[in-house]
Amino acid sequence: MKSIRKSRNRFIVLSLAIPVILLLMFVVYPSVDLVAMSFTSWDGISPHRDFVGVGNYVDMFTKSPDLWLSLRNNFIYLAVHMVMIPIELSIAVMLNTKFKGTGLVKTIAFLPFIINGVGMSYAFSYFFSPVNGAFNDILTSLGLSSWIQSWLSDPKVVNFVLASVSAWRFSGYHIVLFSTGLTSIPTEVMEAARIDGANAWQQLWRIQLPSIWLVFSFVMFDCIRGTLQCFDIPFIMTNGGPGYASSTFTLYTIDTAFKYNSFGMAATMAVAIMVIVILVYLFQNVVLKKVFRQ
Amino acid sequence: MNLDKLKRILILCVKYLVSAVIIAAVIGPLLVTLFTSVKTQVQLGNTSAILPPALGEWTWDNYAEVLGAKLLPDAFKNTGIILVISIFFNVLFGSVTAYCLQRFEFRFKKLIMGCFYLGMMVPTFVVEIARFKVIQSIGLYNTLGAPIIIYVASDLMQLYLYMQFVSKIPKALDESALIDGCGYFRIFYRIIFPLLMPATATVIIIKIVNIVNDMYVPYLYMPKTKLKTLTTFLMNYAGAQQGSWPTLAAAIVVVLIPTVVLYLIFHKQITEGLSAGATKE
Repeated sequence: MKSIRKSRNRFIVLSLAIPVILLLMFVVYPSVDLVAMSFTSWDGISPHRDFVGVGNYVDMFTKSPDLWLSLRNNFIYLAVHMVMIPIELSIAVMLNTKFKGTGLVKTIAFLPFIINGVGMSYAFSYFFSPVNGAFNDILTSLGLSSWIQSWLSDPKVVNFVLASVSAWRFSGYHIVLFSTGLTSIPTEVMEAARIDGANAWQQLWRIQLPSIWLVFSFVMFDCIRGTLQCFDIPFIMTNGGPGYASSTFTLYTIDTAFKYNSFGMAATMAVAIMVIVILVYLFQNVVLKKVFRQ
Repeated sequence: MNLDKLKRILILCVKYLVSAVIIAAVIGPLLVTLFTSVKTQVQLGNTSAILPPALGEWTWDNYAEVLGAKLLPDAFKNTGIILVISIFFNVLFGSVTAYCLQRFEFRFKKLIMGCFYLGMMVPTFVVEIARFKVIQSIGLYNTLGAPIIIYVASDLMQLYLYMQFVSKIPKALDESALIDGCGYFRIFYRIIFPLLMPATATVIIIKIVNIVNDMYVPYLYMPKTKLKTLTTFLMNYAGAQQGSWPTLAAAIVVVLIPTVVLYLIFHKQITEGLSAGATKE
């Protein structure tokens, strides 16, 4: 018995050693270092870091208007994604009614989620381009040419355009998630409800929605986390411009570090994102689950 | 009775209409890119963007130009190397780590689990601000080693998948092998790992998609022109095209094709693998 325990322990240590060391070096240490860095004015190059206390945190709130403009843009993405949720849910309910071709629709709807984000972003840059752009051509052919705008350079519309591209990318994923949730409801339950005379609307509100509550909360929090960290679509399509009009919190943070070499300040912003993401995660997994169980 | 039938047909029509709209919304922008990629610069100006050029007037010159690009072979090679090495270690470490964490109780287990959870939660892009220095200080900056080690160390979706699979393997299997005098390494490699094959297949496919599509890690850590991946090749190429949409569109198509083909073949594994985390938490 003792030798088994010994060989078991040897197995665990040998198996976990490398993955844990890698994790410590490339995930845990950088995360901790990010927090340490946020209290300094480090420029990314010099060998020593000057401690500035909570200076960066104060500056973040008082002297970085463009950061808050960027955060507002994140909320535009979030709003667009939230508007999409009921639509995605309705589509999932529809696809769950089993008619010919639902598999094909789901397969195609999911496609944008696995498509190369950079390729897709360039494709949409052209789609919305002011010269020969497909979107303007569509509007023209529908007789709506008066709606034509500078989709990617007008600060008033650019974020909505980018957020729609983001919605294009993630909606199919959400549809498939909702649909998987709906399929996992036992057919007997739905059958019983139907026999008891529940109409489609009652089935939806009384059985389907409550059963997929977990998926629903996952999608919602995935939207919050995803839009908060939104980066590649604006990075490729507008690089945050014009000015900072279409920047996002993450884009602004990354620029602060790698473009302006203010690693200390950027670390402070990174900590802010990290704290929000972890709070959202805890709220979802601890608070909501407790409430839900009761 | 007849009214009922009419209603049913009407509802079915609405369903197909909605389905058609969804398909058009997804395929439309991709078709536009495809059409653009077979146009000449002149055709681009005088045909509508949503229509292909007239039959017989399609040009393949844009593709010839993209496929002849000096950096493209390197991009394929680099992407291939990164894929093979990182996925090999992702599978190896992912399966054995999941097995240990799922099966055994040991000291520091909670702490180690906590670290892995942290790894899954840490915001992806901004953590590079601190990771950058680590990569530089161990001399991996501007080498293929940078993305490889980052994917192996911090891309942890496989853990979740493997843990779900391990929990479905009956413990009695390990125990009877143990009684037969099998060591733990043999149990893992001879019994557990083969049973994890379906999970491994899903992990491999999803990792290919994720790594091929990743932009920021190769962009940040490998600025050297020789070290472009497919995605950063596209960024580089787009920068050099300055407004020549037809050639850029051809480059987009070339870069999109590998993952799209993979998806069309393995769409079941990919959708199931990527939605596993959401539906059974």
